[in-house]
Amino acid sequence: MVTLTIDDKQVQVEKDATIYEAAKAAGINIPILCHDKKLKPFGACRMCLVEVEQMKGRLIPACTTPVTEGMIVRSSTPPVEKARKLVLELLLLNHPLDCPVCDKGGDCDLQNLAYDHKVNVNRLNDEKFHHVIDYNNPLIERDQNRCVLCGKCVRICDEIVSRGALTFISRGIETKIGTEFDGPLSCEFCGSCISVCPVGALLARPFKFKSRFWALQKKTSVCGYCGTGCSVTLGVKDNKVLTTVYDENQGFHNGQLCVRGRFGYQFISSDKRLKSPLIRKNGQLVEAGWDEALELVANRLKGAGASAAALATPRMTNEELVLLKQLMTQQVGSANIDHSAGYAHAALTEGLAKSFGVAAAPSSILDIQKSDLLLVIKSDAYETHPVVGFEINLAVKNKGVDLQILSDKRGKLGKLPKANTLLHKPGSEVALLNAIAKVLIDENLAGAAASVTGYAELAAGLAAFAPEQVAAQCGVSADAIKQLARTYAAAEKALIVFPVGLAYPAHTAQLAHAAANLAILAGKLGKEGSGLLVLQEKNNSQGAVDVGFVPGNGGMTAQQILDGCLSGSIKTLLVAGENPVVSYPGQSKVKDALQKVDFLVVADLFLTETAQQADVVLPVCSYAEKEGTYTATDRRVQKVTPAIPAVGQSRTEFTVYGDLIRALGGQAPTTPADAFAQIPAYAGIEYAALADDGAFAPVAVKPALVLPVAAATQVEAGKIALLTGAALYHCGTMSHYGEGTVAACPEGYLELSYADAARLQIADGVEVTVASNEGSITLQARISLRMPEGVAFAPYHFAINQVWSGAVVTSVTVSK
Amino acid sequence: MSEAVAVNQETEMEEPVFDPALAEMVIEKYKDIPGNLMPVLQGIQDEYGYVPKAAVGLVAERLNVYPSQIYGVLTFYAQFHLKPRGKYIIRVCMGTACHVLGAERIRETFFERLGIGHAETSQDRRFTFELVACLGACGMAPLAMVNDETYGKMTVQKVDEIIKEYSSLPL
Ligand code: SF4
Ligand code: SF4
Ligand code: SF4
Ligand code: FES
Ligand code: FES
Repeated sequence: MVTLTIDDKQVQVEKDATIYEAAKAAGINIPILCHDKKLKPFGACRMCLVEVEQMKGRLIPACTTPVTEGMIVRSSTPPVEKARKLVLELLLLNHPLDCPVCDKGGDCDLQNLAYDHKVNVNRLNDEKFHHVIDYNNPLIERDQNRCVLCGKCVRICDEIVSRGALTFISRGIETKIGTEFDGPLSCEFCGSCISVCPVGALLARPFKFKSRFWALQKKTSVCGYCGTGCSVTLGVKDNKVLTTVYDENQGFHNGQLCVRGRFGYQFISSDKRLKSPLIRKNGQLVEAGWDEALELVANRLKGAGASAAALATPRMTNEELVLLKQLMTQQVGSANIDHSAGYAHAALTEGLAKSFGVAAAPSSILDIQKSDLLLVIKSDAYETHPVVGFEINLAVKNKGVDLQILSDKRGKLGKLPKANTLLHKPGSEVALLNAIAKVLIDENLAGAAASVTGYAELAAGLAAFAPEQVAAQCGVSADAIKQLARTYAAAEKALIVFPVGLAYPAHTAQLAHAAANLAILAGKLGKEGSGLLVLQEKNNSQGAVDVGFVPGNGGMTAQQILDGCLSGSIKTLLVAGENPVVSYPGQSKVKDALQKVDFLVVADLFLTETAQQADVVLPVCSYAEKEGTYTATDRRVQKVTPAIPAVGQSRTEFTVYGDLIRALGGQAPTTPADAFAQIPAYAGIEYAALADDGAFAPVAVKPALVLPVAAATQVEAGKIALLTGAALYHCGTMSHYGEGTVAACPEGYLELSYADAARLQIADGVEVTVASNEGSITLQARISLRMPEGVAFAPYHFAINQVWSGAVVTSVTVSK
Repeated sequence: MSEAVAVNQETEMEEPVFDPALAEMVIEKYKDIPGNLMPVLQGIQDEYGYVPKAAVGLVAERLNVYPSQIYGVLTFYAQFHLKPRGKYIIRVCMGTACHVLGAERIRETFFERLGIGHAETSQDRRFTFELVACLGACGMAPLAMVNDETYGKMTVQKVDEIIKEYSSLPL
């Protein structure tokens, strides 16, 4: 610790603190413009000048100068004030004074600083900038005339996002921020640059002229897309969500969001929201009242027993899931409930449930930056969970964490410094992990695990997985496998990370066993920064598992439910928020099943492809309109409260299922708090006490080693191996209704290797027909360096299920 | 009067087809050296006479640097050229001494004869024209240079001689 004096106040801070940080800790506000707590010190703007007794004769930038023992700092003296005023006058020299029409007005550092320093006249005079404003993309407006060259956008895009889309161009008075060759911005559209820009040089176009900053109500919430569970602040006016507001102090991620969180909010107040319940009459869905719709549904469910089934989306709150589960199991009498197509949760409900004795991963997102080594299975982890990706970027770049990647294609994470990617053949990940486990055992790197249940069986079962044996099958050399095993074992703290979700049929129970085995064998559990983290697809995927929204005793899985619809054993199906027609494998089968089932009820925000087939459609609320909890992928339970009233006639599912329970003679919990109290996994958490940061529900691990089954995948001769996955800009199909996400990625595409494209004579951007045994689909070709020869990738959000029936690898032909 | 028309030749000129082999060779040479971005870019400029756009993509990929960052470097240092350049670089000094002794007339004459202004290149890529600040030989003002050759006490007539001389050399 170092002691210094700032404005006659004694301050004690860590020895690597800067003067700015020390002042902040002491409650003294030094004005800054180019400094950001999330970024490395830069020292470009000279706004933060102070006087230091020991460095007389010049003014010292507080944001870059480290404290020293006994330092005497004065933050606001006449020379300091004079210098700051000059800095502002210089900045305002070429800066247009168009505050009246600038969206940043009221939230602008330059405006506020000029106000604070009373810069009402400028002693200097010069021409204003006349840069052309960039309106090339629908999301980010770049007006370089307002830029103060603080470099924050450049730095955040590099340091945190690792995209590096922006840079300083030219020098001297010509300097500006731009892209390579001054081209249009083509990037991740995460909006991080907008969020840190101190002025109106970077603005969110969807929010232009929607509201003055001060007229917005700021409501904290939790992003409704992926399992990262980022905290967001919604900007609300006239009961509409108009934007997301950046708050650098929010959440573990310091307000960082991805494109979905930042720009995908428009679905909430979208015109496409269902306005009232719909009932099919004479083949047409027509508007109806709630009473009529609910009565119809209640009558169908009454006494339906096992002929009824429910598929729910893990985007519902825990409390809503509790109610729907109660309705189905107790009032209706059916154990046929499931979510996520039945297989996307298997890594937890079957895999970790057996390997760890608990259907949850023991590590948290916060462990990423505390680790020594990250073993990421599938490069897609960045696309599925971009803000987790930021954590990985920071860990590798700032903390020197070793990054090892096992993947069937290259990805952005592989470009991080010293990252090592083992590119394997599609579908061979379990065999590969088994081979690593075998090396751990054979080379005595797993000594401590010998007493764990299942050790002997595993050791015996792995006989067939010697690196030399699986090398050809996996397309990875035996040496590389051994090297990885040794590196992993040698790391004091090592964290395995892999995504799961509808698009990742290979990431199921067997993969979870295989990954868990490594962590158990190499003794990586029970330590901070070490263990295993499963990245689950939806914002409440873990919650759906914790509530137990899975088939009860003798109940049917999602796939069996669809089969039941086809065979006639399921007569009434309630689909709550899922959109199987687009997102479950095998579209034709799903459509048939929904066609066949006697009575289909769909509760959703939109008239989705699935809702269009329904007999009754119930309009329900988005996360911004309801109260309840979501459990992020690392069992972080977070509470949301309504930011706006229910849109149109929509109701929360808490109300809907509560009413149905009561209509069927049951008693439903009356408040979300009551429902929450019924979830055993959250026994230690008090609903009322849940604050913005949420609370972690404990994960008690009882390790057991389980021999994973490595299924063989075969690609038909002469065909291409199609992999499904997530696109960075989307999450499930809800993002179809967030205009920003659609603007960034409007349609599906097929990523192809250069070699295959050349062989098939396919040019970048042309339409190709992708055909499998299941069917065919037309997609735009993208030729990409990240695809190995013979492998193609298509994001699943755009009905890739026309050619994909759930196989890990689908053999397809691609033609013009 | 010359027949040349005053158009911005630079934007109209097509870039030659990019042959990655030369760039690959340069990258290969410096691949494992830390801080290799500058030498690689300089090497590429030496090979192609300028830094082609396609080379930037290639360098970004191979050295794992952002393309934007490379562009930032290329625009920061005056030594880099992003457009093909002429075989003969004509520089006309616009420093104070040269200005006083009629540099403007020299600039105009070159423009009239060749149709290219500052930082522009003739269609046949024979000449690139550049205005520069004091070349440090004020005693010979007004001053012009063609590649490494210096021409002092410039006149309109000397402009014509220079153009004639270099136009007769092989391309
Ligand atoms: S939106 Fe994100 S990726 Fe794009 S320039 Fe800004 S920070 Fe970089
Ligand atoms: S655009 Fe904004 S963040 Fe970027 S340098 Fe300019 S003022 Fe700073
Ligand atoms: S989609 Fe996921 S990563 Fe993106 S902001 Fe939302 S919770 Fe965070
Ligand atoms: S805030 Fe310190 S130099 Fe910009
Ligand atoms: S001013 Fe031209 S050489 Fe000095």
